Amino acid sequence: MRSVKYYAATSWGDAVATLAKYPLAKPLAGGSDLLGWIKDDLVGPKEPRWEILVDLRTIEGASGYRYSQGDGLRIGALTPLSTLETAKEIVENYPMLAKAFAAPASPNIRNVGTLGGNINQRPRCWYLRGPEFSCYKKGGDFCFAVTGMNQYHAILDGELCYIVHPSDTAPALLAFDAKAKIVGPRGEKTVPLSEYFIGPRVDVTRETILAHDELMTEIQVPAPQPGVKTAYFKATNRETYDFAIVNVASWLKIKDNLVEDSRIYLSGVAPTPYRATIVEQTIKGKRIDEALARQAADQQMVRARPMSDNAYKVDIAKALIRRALLEAN
Amino acid sequence: MVTTTRPSEKTTHKVIGTRPIRPDGVDKVTGRAIYGADVTLPGLLIGKVLRSPFAHARIRNIDTGAAERLPGVRAVITAADLPDPDKGMADVGEASATYRDLSHNVMARDKALYQGHAVAAVAAESASIAEQALALITVDYEPLPPVLDLVEAMKDDAPLLHEDLRTNELGTLSDKPSNIAAHARFLKGDPAAGFAEADVIVERTYTTTMVHQGYIEPHASTAYWNADGKITIWTTTQAPFAIRDNVAVLLNVPVSRVKVIPTEIGGGFGGKLPPYVEPLAAVLSRKSGAPVKMTMSRTEELQASGPTSGSRTHVKIGAKRDGTIVAVEASLAYEAGAFPGSSVRFGSLCMFAPYDIPNMQLDSYDVVVNKPKVAAYRAPGSPAAMFASESALDELAERLGMDPIELRLKNSAKVGTRMANNIPFQHPVGNVKVLEAIRESDHWRSPLPESTETRKIGRGLAMGFWPNAPLKSSCFATVNPDGSVTLVEGNPDIGGTRASLAMQLAETLGIPYEKVIPQVADTETVGYNDATGGSRTTFTGGIAVYELGQDIKQQLIERARILWQLNPEDAIVYEDGTIRGPKEGQQLSFDQLAAQLFKTGGPVVGRASVSPKHVGFAFGCHVVDLAVDIETGKVEILRYTAAQDVGKAVHPSYVEGQIQGGVAQGIGWALNEEYVYDEQGRLVNASFLDYRMPTSLDLPMIETILVEEPHPPHPFGVRGVGEVPIVPPLAAVANAISHALGHRFTDLPISPRRIIETLYP
Ligand SMILES: Cc1cc2nc3c(=O)[nH]c(=O)nc-3n(C[C@@H](O)[C@@H](O)[C@H](O)COP(=O)(O)OP(=O)(O)OC[C@H]3O[C@@H](n4cnc5c(N)ncnc54)[C@H](O)[C@@H]3O)c2cc1C
Ligand code: SF4
Repeated sequence: MRSVKYYAATSWGDAVATLAKYPLAKPLAGGSDLLGWIKDDLVGPKEPRWEILVDLRTIEGASGYRYSQGDGLRIGALTPLSTLETAKEIVENYPMLAKAFAAPASPNIRNVGTLGGNINQRPRCWYLRGPEFSCYKKGGDFCFAVTGMNQYHAILDGELCYIVHPSDTAPALLAFDAKAKIVGPRGEKTVPLSEYFIGPRVDVTRETILAHDELMTEIQVPAPQPGVKTAYFKATNRETYDFAIVNVASWLKIKDNLVEDSRIYLSGVAPTPYRATIVEQTIKGKRIDEALARQAADQQMVRARPMSDNAYKVDIAKALIRRALLEAN
Repeated sequence: MVTTTRPSEKTTHKVIGTRPIRPDGVDKVTGRAIYGADVTLPGLLIGKVLRSPFAHARIRNIDTGAAERLPGVRAVITAADLPDPDKGMADVGEASATYRDLSHNVMARDKALYQGHAVAAVAAESASIAEQALALITVDYEPLPPVLDLVEAMKDDAPLLHEDLRTNELGTLSDKPSNIAAHARFLKGDPAAGFAEADVIVERTYTTTMVHQGYIEPHASTAYWNADGKITIWTTTQAPFAIRDNVAVLLNVPVSRVKVIPTEIGGGFGGKLPPYVEPLAAVLSRKSGAPVKMTMSRTEELQASGPTSGSRTHVKIGAKRDGTIVAVEASLAYEAGAFPGSSVRFGSLCMFAPYDIPNMQLDSYDVVVNKPKVAAYRAPGSPAAMFASESALDELAERLGMDPIELRLKNSAKVGTRMANNIPFQHPVGNVKVLEAIRESDHWRSPLPESTETRKIGRGLAMGFWPNAPLKSSCFATVNPDGSVTLVEGNPDIGGTRASLAMQLAETLGIPYEKVIPQVADTETVGYNDATGGSRTTFTGGIAVYELGQDIKQQLIERARILWQLNPEDAIVYEDGTIRGPKEGQQLSFDQLAAQLFKTGGPVVGRASVSPKHVGFAFGCHVVDLAVDIETGKVEILRYTAAQDVGKAVHPSYVEGQIQGGVAQGIGWALNEEYVYDEQGRLVNASFLDYRMPTSLDLPMIETILVEEPHPPHPFGVRGVGEVPIVPPLAAVANAISHALGHRFTDLPISPRRIIETLYP
């Protein structure tokens, strides 16, 4: 690995100022994604060779979580996933979130990997991760997946670039309608997570709205509501240490056995976490049963535009949607 | 863990069959053991390799000037710095290669033949300087069309990897250049006549993709080319002597100038038989005058070490209605990678070896493609071939409405049965006993769980065969005054062989296991030893330490004669570690005599050098229960039982470990592992994230049944156990999935994608 400079940030303001000053500085959390990226020397016309790592773990108060019945859950972006998956308040009040926090990678990676890092990690397209491929995302002029090996690529919303969103936690947080607190040179703001991710249509080189000198400081999850049923499923090739082929997180508010409101998100299928709005519309006001679950999943996946090698993901996505709906039933 | 051991008749052993802790255990669990990358020396430089981004390209020119000028760079080499050896055959274990191919594989000469093929190397004062230097080397490539597919590669008009390669067509060299390096055939009886008698014929084509051994420790070597011309190499290898000999030829120096010191080794499975970075580190050291360490990254391992062949096998089996197999035909094509020498002939020899079949024609094709040159991988050649044959047999049993164990028992080979190469089984083999062991097992007798609408349950069974290799071992040992024995042997300890050899020596001498202190020596300290491979170390090494024990016993008897002042004709017996003279009460324990050796002529040093002719064949029979989620394509292994004829389990825990490890690798091969190349021959999944070996969570505890059918020529009845357990899982898993889903799966891996695409075409 080539040498890089290391800077231990003392505060969020310090971190933002350092990033603003150095265009080749990059925020570092657990490093489980970023260090691999740098070791593999993944650079391109629009993907700089990062020279300074600004460590966010040294910022006081950046890690940890708080829960209150009225306010819900607030999680510092630097909190390791392993802390969250076993936190009593989360396991009891948001069991589906606890499941999602335990889903990524392996215990050793979750010990260093943070929630902020998980949400902001770069995609896993194997061409993107190969130093020899200068693709659109790195600022090149080609997408190798279109004509190449695309069995793990997008079946929905692909355009120019066909990455899938890699985060296991994002769909779960989105299903809970979580918000992200962002800090930048002009101060702090809070945005719904549903407005946080951007697809290739907006900017093929980025995955979030964050500017170079902006950071995610906190995730806010609304207080649990009565009558809500949730479910989380991750389909993989192997039991652990594996990104999702598809994953689904569902949040259903049920009243008198009828679906009053719902949020259903998928990862692994589209460049951003994908909201299954057709499913939500199909089940609204209805009582979920096998037939309705099947109808909703099938109608959603009519939207799918699989490529040469990934049509199987459409079938798996349908199955997971059905399971999520029926489990919440 | 469920383990059933079936003891052999003779259970008089005191040490063999027990489960002591391994001598190297504490160092390994406390992190003190020195592995390849742990070696360090004063003034050590770090070497790195520049690798071809193209799968197939002519190398027009390499400009190393800018790299050489970078401060901190101490040497840059290309193929021009290596001699070009002749075409003699090199020793690379159970695969094959000429010295020239080995040299051209270590460093590309005129052509880069696979992505990751080494084209230049650098030694620098730090790893990061070395990496910067690699980026400064400019290579002028002329890209050529890559040859990636077996069927395409075999076509007459395929682009050629080697313009001078001609097919060895059944023993004669053809005159047309081709990517088919060899076509061999085993023929027995009259297959056409046999098929004419058949009532049922099963015929299918099976494929597997290239897979890697996945040893946990990457290749790591340090070389120091001293000013006096002596080359010392510390390396993680299964074969220190073969590395010594190969490096000597590749560098054109006498063998006496090369000393290889094997480090501890974190797995090999055949992948650590050939040289990769050793010769490069040596040449960089000569050029720089300093020691050079080179370690391969996981990506380099996957791209450019020695995985095993992808394959395509066509099988035809003919049987009578009562299950008698009357004829088989098979045609196997294996990827050799960039240079000839796959294990396809081994595969064809193994595939029907458990059975007595009168008529067989087995054709094998060794085919070069623009992928890394394959190396041996645990029972090389057999898993892919027996995936085909054992799948076809399962289908035959189904078609005949016969129990798969009964079908196999009905056709079992016995002593005297001739294999496809017409060589008869000379010694008792355990093929019938392992089938019976499975038939009587709790697993086979337990009913399967019920399938549900989305979770389909299946059970599959398959056999495996591997002939094992005896080869040569030598060792010596010194009896110390405290009654301990220092054993010096020459086989790197991969699977617990320090323990298994110490146990056999302790048994021979009738002393406690703890009294034997084994150590693995370098190539200048002990006599020649063939590789730790071919399931041979406990087998042949065991014969060596047995002979060594006889030598020590004889010498001790002579020392007692001196102490007791007896005549040459007076009978002295050595029994259970006690030496007895002819007079009543005239006896010495091993310890007592050891304490008096210096008074009777100095230490006793025993030695042995053996090259056994006979080897014990290995058979296994495995059964697996699994569940297939038909909506996600995920396969869950519910229960797995492996019965194996182990001859005699010297250390049963380590034997069980070998079986469990082989099964784990075989299940990975069946379900998930595959080299994914894009259309230009670039390996897109060159990491352990995307190349998916099974984890502990993907496997249940693998149950083992150790069947002990002793191999008579071995003093303790041992037969090799390490390789055959990887053979049956491919077909066993595929057969189970086929039964669960009512559809025959003939292509590996049977990943979620393959299952979903098959179920919902
Ligand atoms: C082998 C392996 C398997 C994996 N499997 C999975 C999986 O199955 N599912 C899954 O979801 N993930 C998986 N991951 C991704 C894993 O890296 C993340 O899960 C982990 O949580 C990332 O956290 P980190 O703190 O280490 O991030 P880092 O590597 O430190 O950072 C990741 C990225 O986010 C940016 N970043 C970090 N924190 C912030 C912040 N507060 N504000 C703005 N930007 C920030 C960094 O600049 C960097 O670009 C896997 C990773 C590996 C190496
Ligand atoms: S899918 Fe996106 S990241 Fe992958 S090769 Fe195409 S453009 Fe690059």
